Amino acid sequence: MIWAIIRPESAQRVIKALDNAGIGGITRLHVTGHGREMGITLGAVHYMEIPKEMLMIMVPDNDVAKTVMIIRTEAKTGSKTKPGEGTIGDGKIFVTYVEDTFAIRTAGKPGGN
Amino acid sequence: MKQIIAILREEQVENTKQVLIAIGVMGVTFLYVTGRGQQKGRVSARELGESLNRNMRMQIVNAPFCNDSPDAVTEMTGSLAHPDTEIAFGFLPKRMLTIVAYDEDVNGIVQAIVNANQTGRHGDGRIFICPMISAIRVRTGEQGDKALS
Repeated sequence: MIWAIIRPESAQRVIKALDNAGIGGITRLHVTGHGREMGITLGAVHYMEIPKEMLMIMVPDNDVAKTVMIIRTEAKTGSKTKPGEGTIGDGKIFVTYVEDTFAIRTAGKPGGN
Repeated sequence: MKQIIAILREEQVENTKQVLIAIGVMGVTFLYVTGRGQQKGRVSARELGESLNRNMRMQIVNAPFCNDSPDAVTEMTGSLAHPDTEIAFGFLPKRMLTIVAYDEDVNGIVQAIVNANQTGRHGDGRIFICPMISAIRVRTGEQGDKALS
């Protein structure tokens, strides 16, 4: 199971790329949050809750590396000062594991996942 | 201690709540999510029509007419020749349910969720069982199994 927190504007691109790679189930959550930078200051206003998109992606173990790579490439936005590097706020990817999966429709193990 | 994550149909949520209360599960969190599975968000016209009849909130993401009113959807489904025609909507509105439970209760909860949500059609949802290392009750600071009881 992969949890990815990405910019809302990159979500579409990431999903399209995952689609092309044939990666199946994705659940999407609208979240707000901040990282180590404690939000962002724009003019006089300090924003602590920055809108992000959270993707929950279920993949078989041997697709994890591929999925993470796709998210990394697609969610990374270009840096103005350091070429080739991303920008603060591009997001994080967390990989964890699922012990068991059930498809409610068949009340059994789904095929392929 | 395990975390149970289930993705459910929106219209089954009330039913699921009742079933969970009946088996004594009180701590449940529901989230509004959008998602899709292997069907890539395809819905049959018949099912879509039923949903609209129930005034289900169709928050359709990624559809070409996503800014249109639900009337546009009705018009579109009405004009389809066969009710089994499938329309790809991409991400469909779903509810996510999370429960943290003791290991021995997991099977019962999974069975209850399956029984309450099974319609036999695509889109019934999935249940995932994940390990949960600890829990802390904020009010008292109790940790581990005590925080769940």
